[in-house]
Amino acid sequence: MATIEQTPKPVNEQTAEVGGPPPQGTPGHDPHATSTGVTNTKLAMWLFLSSDCLFFGAFIASYLLYRGRDVSGPGPRELFDIPFTSATSFILLMSSLTMVLALAAIQRGDHRRVRIWILATALLGATFIAGQIFEFTEFSREGLNVSTNLFGSSFYILTGFHGAHVTIGIIWLLSLWGMSNRGRLPTGKAESVEIAGLYWHFVDVVWIVIFTVIYLVPQPH
Amino acid sequence: MSEGTLQHLESDVAVAARGELGHALEPAPGLLPGEVHPHPSPFKYVVIAVVLCVVTAIEIGTSYLEGDIPNGLLIFLLLAMALFKFVGVAGWYMHLQTDKPIFRRFFILGCIAAVILYTIVLATLSVFAA
Repeated sequence: MATIEQTPKPVNEQTAEVGGPPPQGTPGHDPHATSTGVTNTKLAMWLFLSSDCLFFGAFIASYLLYRGRDVSGPGPRELFDIPFTSATSFILLMSSLTMVLALAAIQRGDHRRVRIWILATALLGATFIAGQIFEFTEFSREGLNVSTNLFGSSFYILTGFHGAHVTIGIIWLLSLWGMSNRGRLPTGKAESVEIAGLYWHFVDVVWIVIFTVIYLVPQPH
Repeated sequence: MSEGTLQHLESDVAVAARGELGHALEPAPGLLPGEVHPHPSPFKYVVIAVVLCVVTAIEIGTSYLEGDIPNGLLIFLLLAMALFKFVGVAGWYMHLQTDKPIFRRFFILGCIAAVILYTIVLATLSVFAA
């Protein structure tokens, strides 16, 4: 009887056969394996953030273009309340800390702390949005609307889109909190929290730029 | 409450605190997909947050020096501090320091592309002209 000659199997298949995990990024042996060695979802989030840099860059550039060119209506010098905006900036900065502590907690398998830190992040974000809404209503009361002048349109569009990003982040975080409450966010899904965290930190980073360029940099006379 | 009960309570609190501190001082166990080095410990995250807060406070204080120092220097200082905070959050909170270089490359590419593109646009529209 002729014997079937078996060709030696690659090391990766041998590892899989004896029950060990396939090496990360090994094509064909792990349904989530990729050729880059990183997960598609994380890479996609970074690509999105990279494109979002261009998105916000466009609005910041528009603000810089229109700066000091108003012929009527209130301007930043009359309206900006730096201490108030500093407080909201501080709140958003602290939300980045709570977000990253949530990630550290889920990596440790401490699901109670995950819920605490995620909820804290969402609440701090909501407080920031409340501050933005208050600021918008104050500016509106002073006579600054989207169509008042160049400053109004560029300021509201830029900070409005940033606020929309924060709001989406809050909804995302609350959904993660709900999932964790129902036991649907195990330690194995820590990457979900990490990806939400990447989005949240990006939103914070954009505000760092907006706060400096829009609020702190001296206005032209 | 008896003396013995108080001593037990203090001992339990001390043990719990050591446990908490232990968690805070240790990096997270295991690596997430795409990680090359372990993420920083929670204690380090808090230290980074304190540094960012201090820099923010300095930045706000510096903005009030308008008129006392040349505008060019003021803008340079403000942008430098903003860049420091940007790198701090992106490098440590977004884990660009500890993750695979591919993420860093994509993000930096986007940032550089945005800066170059909009600098060219603004220069074309004479924003930087005296």
